[in-house]
Amino acid sequence: MIRRIARWFDSRLHLAQPAREALNHVFPDHWSFMLGEIALYSFVVLIITGSFLAMFFNGSTADVIYHGPYRALHGVHMSAAYQSVLHLCFGVPAGLLIRQMHHWAALIFIGAIVVHIARIFFTGAFRRPREINWWIGLTLLVLALSNGYFGYSILGDLLSGAGLRIGYSMVLSIPIIGPWLSFLFFGGRVPVDVTIPRMYGLHIFAVPAAISVLLALHLGIIWRQKHTNRPGPGRTDHTITGSRVWPTYTAKSIGLFFLVFAVIAALGALVQIDPVWTYGPYDPIAILPGAQPDWYLAWVEGAMRLFPGVNIYLGSYLVPELFFPGILFPVLFFIVLYLYPFFDRLITHDNQPHHVLRHPYEQPFQTALGCAVFMFLFVLFVAAGDDVIAVASGASVVTIRLILRILIFVAPAVTGIIVYGLCILARHRHARGLERALESAAAEGRLISGENEVTQ
Amino acid sequence: MMAVETGPGHMPSFVNVLSVPEIRAVSYYVTQHLAVIPLQGGDLAEGGTLFRAHCAACHRTAARGGALAFTGINAPSLVNYSPPLIAGAIRWGPGPMPAFPPSVISDEQLNSIVKYVTFVQHPPSPGGTPLGYYGPVAEGFAGWLGVLVLVIFTIWIEKGGRG
Amino acid sequence: MSEGERKGAWLLMVFALGWRMIAGRSRKSLRARSEADAEAARIQEFHLPSGRDADTKTQAVTSGRERWGTLLVACSLIAAIAAGIGFLFIYWTDGGNKLLGGTLALSFAGFGIALVLWSHFLMAYKEATEPLEPLPSPEKDRQTAADDFRAGARDVKRRSLLKFMTVAGAGVFAAMFVSLLRSFGAPIGPALYQIVWRRGQRLMTADNKPVSIHSLRPGDSVTVFPEGSIGDEHAQTVLVRVQERFLRLPADRVDWAPMGYLAYSRVCTHAGCPVGMFESQTNLLLCPCHQSTFNVLTGATPTGGPAARPLPQLPLYADDEGLLRAAGRFSATPGPGFWGIQ
Repeated sequence: MIRRIARWFDSRLHLAQPAREALNHVFPDHWSFMLGEIALYSFVVLIITGSFLAMFFNGSTADVIYHGPYRALHGVHMSAAYQSVLHLCFGVPAGLLIRQMHHWAALIFIGAIVVHIARIFFTGAFRRPREINWWIGLTLLVLALSNGYFGYSILGDLLSGAGLRIGYSMVLSIPIIGPWLSFLFFGGRVPVDVTIPRMYGLHIFAVPAAISVLLALHLGIIWRQKHTNRPGPGRTDHTITGSRVWPTYTAKSIGLFFLVFAVIAALGALVQIDPVWTYGPYDPIAILPGAQPDWYLAWVEGAMRLFPGVNIYLGSYLVPELFFPGILFPVLFFIVLYLYPFFDRLITHDNQPHHVLRHPYEQPFQTALGCAVFMFLFVLFVAAGDDVIAVASGASVVTIRLILRILIFVAPAVTGIIVYGLCILARHRHARGLERALESAAAEGRLISGENEVTQ
Repeated sequence: MMAVETGPGHMPSFVNVLSVPEIRAVSYYVTQHLAVIPLQGGDLAEGGTLFRAHCAACHRTAARGGALAFTGINAPSLVNYSPPLIAGAIRWGPGPMPAFPPSVISDEQLNSIVKYVTFVQHPPSPGGTPLGYYGPVAEGFAGWLGVLVLVIFTIWIEKGGRG
Repeated sequence: MSEGERKGAWLLMVFALGWRMIAGRSRKSLRARSEADAEAARIQEFHLPSGRDADTKTQAVTSGRERWGTLLVACSLIAAIAAGIGFLFIYWTDGGNKLLGGTLALSFAGFGIALVLWSHFLMAYKEATEPLEPLPSPEKDRQTAADDFRAGARDVKRRSLLKFMTVAGAGVFAAMFVSLLRSFGAPIGPALYQIVWRRGQRLMTADNKPVSIHSLRPGDSVTVFPEGSIGDEHAQTVLVRVQERFLRLPADRVDWAPMGYLAYSRVCTHAGCPVGMFESQTNLLLCPCHQSTFNVLTGATPTGGPAARPLPQLPLYADDEGLLRAAGRFSATPGPGFWGIQ
């Protein structure tokens, strides 16, 4: 039966040769190479759940009065968008579950991307010839961050409305073009009616389309360049070792998809996320403490909280204090990330193509730098929740902020030094192991040719 | 009862003067016989709107408390507060909390707010555990837990089957 | 041409095209078959430069593993199917979120685990090695491609003149598309520099009630708006009352606070959140978003947190009836800072 179907398709599309290549494609065996797939499958879950939600969500800021099952908002004025979300949560069968799964999938999507980027960074997989995929991957991250922001902002609740205001203030603070740019993007001085409908269009169409195209390119380039491999016995820059796609890798990969879906469903079932009914509809007069963006933007939020209030005037023109942590810092950060392959090449003086990864300890400076940066981001992430920590622990937010302002310098430095030392230690141990292996090999009379990676 | 114990503002604390049963008796007397606010009626939804306009800025929309710029004092969680205590706090502004006289919040509005606070002390959480209503911070940690679980799954997937 | 001849000509053309396609395809398939053999040879075990065969570690499926594996996979699948049926039941009976999502999660987890266990226990592990061709194309191929391009370009006449005009045209097209962005924007001036308070306007609460000098005691606070703009987020103002003897306003503002009443813009100058928290004991206005604090006694100067500029102050006076009115505009543009703020 399957053979009949396969032959039907092949006689129209000439598939046998590409199918053979696909089935026999070799993928390296290591779990760290499947981290990108977690992100990929989270994106698939986002598309599936998002399509469901898009059937119910109404991205309009028209004023309506609520008359639904949630009695604490009965008779309250709200946007049509907010009302449609309440309807999804309380009136649509499985609506709340799908909505929560969608939001959890977004958190996991970006988390998996970060873990994946960390793996790429620490193993040097961004080196030639894979710089293009590094740039595509970073762009995917930026798009994912943006879409997450748009996604929770279109709900029209108090928490995300505050976030829209803050985002508008950040763009506003850009020197010279800030006011023009913020009015262009948000459609006026926030809060203004056109912002949510606009973000809805971006969130369900423009950005997912861009992500899909770049993702296809990303995977296509991996397919074409073939995957990198971990250093080890028999690993060279001229071969790729691992399992074939069919049957093992297919089973594992599809199994991973089901597990990603299962974890997201478990979270959607058991852990409440973004309970917009408790926040209430957006009211520009109201505000709440403990207002944070989703975790993947918390690094910018933390920077905004920790950065001191300095006024910089160029003549009579103000460069607001918000500009530096809110815009300059993230933009510079990503510029450095985009340029990183060149920086790495500068340090290592190595312009050769690599298909074998490097161990993190082989480049102690880069690894230490990367760990220091991650620690820096983590301190910012903690700083974004300083008022939540204050409430939970009973401490004063002023004290916590002071501690964090010290930690933001001390923690990355200490982390970098410790990691550097560990890498040097590991390198020495590896070198000693190598010497011993060479000695024993020479003793046994077998010489390993210099082309292969020497093993221990 | 809290006021007798902690002595908000310039009021002295009676913790070392009265025993706990005595404190309870005094509170009971005050709330049952001396409280002049009727605390009846009120509209839940209007109370919610008023709460978000006046109170949520310090106490959070879920009334779980918020951070102040003070050393040692935060806007407390309202989860364990009785209606008379809530009403009293609104009218008399204990400690760093501002007071809201009838010209700002009328008696009818006060009843609504109290009704809403009582509701939000045990709000419906149909989506699962609310993680203490701490918001995106707690959700971020839970999300990372999910990522960690998936990474562990990935290690299991790849490591297994090779003896 | 007659009708029949025309039809005949069409049929002939179609037939010729079809023959060419089939013939071409059979030629291609001959080529493909030899390519396939080459491919097969390529991805079979091949010889490393040192002369050794590629290590092909194999882990065959023993009968013990097979039995154990079959049992485990079967159990997972049964669990998955049972959970799936449970999901259907709970969904159709409008059950709660926990059960609904829980059964969904179990069902998918069961399938996923079944697939993974299948690969672990019931698929032989064969490590394979494949050669990597160098990615830069051979110089010969690069030359040929470049030559083809140049040959084609030479067939394009009048290149230099028309190239210039095409580029200019493309530039205009780009400008046309980019300029459409203007439709998304809005005029900046009126919104950013909007005057919210005028002299003589009464301060009104959100319930549209005027505020008199007897409304608040020291330590109280209330949100007010200009009359006629209740609920306007840009005009929102916080009115607090403090004891007059504690006031430390700048010299030009000493008469802005009748009887200790102070009015400040409620829009934080940091990132625009409403400064909703008034700490009566320390006379600080606290913004809950990033914990900026402003001292109301000295003109809402920032005392902590990331805000850099004070909250704009509204001068007040009490009229003959004792109602509070604005004595002028805000001392600065309310809201977060921007290039060109006054």
